Amino acid sequence: MRDRGVQRLRDELAQAWAVVVKDVRVYYLTPPMIMFGLLLPFFLFFSFSIKREVGPEVGLSRLLALTTFFTASSAGPVIIPLERRNGTYDRLLAAPMSLATLLLGKTLVGAFFALIASAVPLLVGIFGLHVSLAGIGWLLAGLVLASLAFSAFGLVFGSFPAQSVGNIMMPSTLIRWPLLFLSGAFIPLEEMAPWARLLAYASPLTYTQDLMNHAVLGSGYLAPWLDLALLPLLVAVCLAVAARLHHRSRVLGY
Amino acid sequence: MTEAIKVEKLTKYYGRPGSGVLAVDHVDFQVQHGEVFGFLGPNGAGKTTTQRMLTTLLEPTEGTIRIHGHDLSRDAYPVKRQMGLVPEESNVYTELSAWDNLMFTGRLYRVSADQRRLRARELLDTFGLWETRSAKAETFSKGMRRRLSIAMAIIHRPKLLFLDEPTPGLDAQSARAIRDLIRQMNAEGTTVFLTTHQIEEANQLCDRVAIINHGQIAAIDTPERLKAAFRRVQSVEVALEPDGGVHGESLAALAGVTTAVKAGDKWRLYTEDPSALLPRLLHYAEDKGLQVISLNTLGPSLEDVFLEITGQQVGVVRHGGQPESPGRGHKGGGR
Repeated sequence: MRDRGVQRLRDELAQAWAVVVKDVRVYYLTPPMIMFGLLLPFFLFFSFSIKREVGPEVGLSRLLALTTFFTASSAGPVIIPLERRNGTYDRLLAAPMSLATLLLGKTLVGAFFALIASAVPLLVGIFGLHVSLAGIGWLLAGLVLASLAFSAFGLVFGSFPAQSVGNIMMPSTLIRWPLLFLSGAFIPLEEMAPWARLLAYASPLTYTQDLMNHAVLGSGYLAPWLDLALLPLLVAVCLAVAARLHHRSRVLGY
Repeated sequence: MTEAIKVEKLTKYYGRPGSGVLAVDHVDFQVQHGEVFGFLGPNGAGKTTTQRMLTTLLEPTEGTIRIHGHDLSRDAYPVKRQMGLVPEESNVYTELSAWDNLMFTGRLYRVSADQRRLRARELLDTFGLWETRSAKAETFSKGMRRRLSIAMAIIHRPKLLFLDEPTPGLDAQSARAIRDLIRQMNAEGTTVFLTTHQIEEANQLCDRVAIINHGQIAAIDTPERLKAAFRRVQSVEVALEPDGGVHGESLAALAGVTTAVKAGDKWRLYTEDPSALLPRLLHYAEDKGLQVISLNTLGPSLEDVFLEITGQQVGVVRHGGQPESPGRGHKGGGR
């Protein structure tokens, strides 16, 4: 019985990996996705930082948080509706693997993409701008967990039963942009009015930005362990919501 | 245990029960091991919805599905391992090559690497795709994608194969290759659940068929027994020359003819008693100065049975004032 359980677990992990490799080849290694993942955070950074006398350390901290947030959360709302429309999502749902495995695979692939994309500003910051890191441990743990969390966050949008990318992209954009502005990425938490700070706590990006501040600048507004602890919680909540939406879709037939 | 599939009181509402749309309404049927089971019905009858429930893609609103003895709502995993699904649309990854599509599906079904490669080669050969195995599927024709989609569904040698409209839109050669493959897989022990509205295909392939209409099973039996149960839709098929001299109304008005249907250069006259109709028909031809080119008596086809049961109509010639039969489609008329 135990052997069968172990075998099943191995099977499920191998299937999740198969989904990761397939998604990378089919969707991620495409010029539009690469350009989007690499360029958008830079555009955002320059849009909001130019003429504001932002030093390289602050710039790197912001850029890491923004890159992770946008690259990890962007693919889910696009890929799943595309797969639904092409019928390939049914192939995945009918395969002998649990929904959790499928969602895990989809989350991992978004997270890998975000990690690779965030390596670019990191390398530019370290070797080009000679930024020294204050906490490498916080940085690595933060990037990994934030990538997973934001990828799972994007998956929630993709789990709404729609076959049109536009129907999902619009609400996902409408939700992600306010989260960006609330997060403290452009106005530090300590400079916000108390009511604005309360709103900022509702944005998951707030904790990543604060963690990146600890990692790069050596100080943040919240305790770094609190920032870090909230990210796996976000992964769990987002995956639970995504699974619930999938179940609802099966039940209602949409 | 002889049933591959056992369905009881299967019901599906799209949306919430009560306020939603009832697509499948308390359906019961069984599919035996090793059968080719045809699931026929007009568009919107509930065929695909039923199949999507059987393949775990939809959750039934009510009722139970047991496949190979496993309750699908509680124990879907072992069922999914033994199941292959070919949906109506060829769901291949067009950005990948045929080979990579098969490798991916093999990984999903945990086929070992050696077996995966052997089986992929065998299937690509069988489906005439070996030469194009490295080309991206986006360059494939519709028939090639269909064949690849089927190959992906059977790379793990499923014991139960679901096919949803496998041949519409394909050229005759591709359609025939797919039918041959279904026969071959069935001969090797695979149970086949074939959803189709191509009646002749079901007639050729299926051991039994179920006809679903408005979400309910209207009939279920072997094709021959279904035809035997509808003796009233026997017909006489006649070709007359000159064809332009023939009037549908006058043929339909012959005693014993319920409907007259134009079928190419022939007329098909439906009757309950072909032997009584033949002399009247010959007399009619003589009166009109027409030459009888061919004359056949026909039993009901599965299509006749299907149309009779589902109440579909396709253009009608009425028998002078007599109400038309509610079932079969009729065509022709005053020329």
